[in-house]
Amino acid sequence: METVFDLDALRAHKRRALKQAQPGADFLMAHAAEELGDRLATVSRRFDRAATIFCNSPHAAQVLRESGKVEEVIRVEADEALLNGEPGIVALPETVPFEPASLDLAVSLLSLHEVNDLPGLLVQIRRALKPDGLFLACMAGAGTLSELRESLLAAESELGGVSPRVSPFVEVRDAGGLLQRAGFALPVSDADTLTVRYDSLLGLANDLRAMGASNALAERSRQPMSRALLYRAAQIYGERFADPDGRVRASFTLLWMSGWAPAASQPKPLKPGSATVSLAEALAKK
Amino acid sequence: MSRISEQSRIDPRLLELLVCPLTKGRLEWDGVRSELVSRSARLAYPVRDGIPVLLPSEARTLEDEG
Repeated sequence: METVFDLDALRAHKRRALKQAQPGADFLMAHAAEELGDRLATVSRRFDRAATIFCNSPHAAQVLRESGKVEEVIRVEADEALLNGEPGIVALPETVPFEPASLDLAVSLLSLHEVNDLPGLLVQIRRALKPDGLFLACMAGAGTLSELRESLLAAESELGGVSPRVSPFVEVRDAGGLLQRAGFALPVSDADTLTVRYDSLLGLANDLRAMGASNALAERSRQPMSRALLYRAAQIYGERFADPDGRVRASFTLLWMSGWAPAASQPKPLKPGSATVSLAEALAKK
Repeated sequence: MSRISEQSRIDPRLLELLVCPLTKGRLEWDGVRSELVSRSARLAYPVRDGIPVLLPSEARTLEDEG
């Protein structure tokens, strides 16, 4: 398996963000959590046992508790510090330490875009779900930070030497296939784009650090970014992505995914050739 | 024994749900050491303040006990 993300760096970034606790830096998580509540409200059933899988914050668990639809919520995080004294479980990143068929609902917010083996993790989540258990997740998808990626790339190619600085993201059209491959029934994916405005690239970089989303790519340059590169990238960002008032735009694509652990009671397509009435007959009937 | 289990404040229902993250094998509760033992991975994971820490880096490697 290719190592795209440096798990130690990811953990260090989340810890730093937690310590920094910059007010408002959790705006993406707050947005995703609110949307989670809305999406859960449209599901007409109750869930005995839910787990929030590596959500890096208490937001998701809180939404589930307040939904009135979930009896018990278990938080799983990769670091004790992230639980902040709350009950929960600490588990190795990218593992789901539950017995097969033990959960009714599994939720993941804003962390699946930072895993090395996404198909593997999805399979583990599906196995942990009871038949007809629901998986509901949101991660950053393709298009996220596209302006930052372009500006950094342009500045780096001018100054010489290009290194990966913005993560690769999953395309919306691939998300359904990923869910299907992991064995989920009735997979659905859709995307929601959020545009945030900043004074400059520096404000965006500061927010990314405060949300624990700094570059954790395994192939990243280990040198700190030079001042020259940072300023040139900020300049290009300003030239290409500013609004008339001079503020710059940053895009975040929230890719939502849902799927159910297969159960006999779920609707399924009929087998090809199993029809008892021909199509011509069905069409002729008015 | 039950007294020790109470002190470590771990929900027995939670224990029944958990498996070893590496092997997906069963975990046995050791109330004396406050550890979750994975025989299949030969690791004992700590439980601190009622929080199971299923990280191999934090776990104790089991000696041969046979």
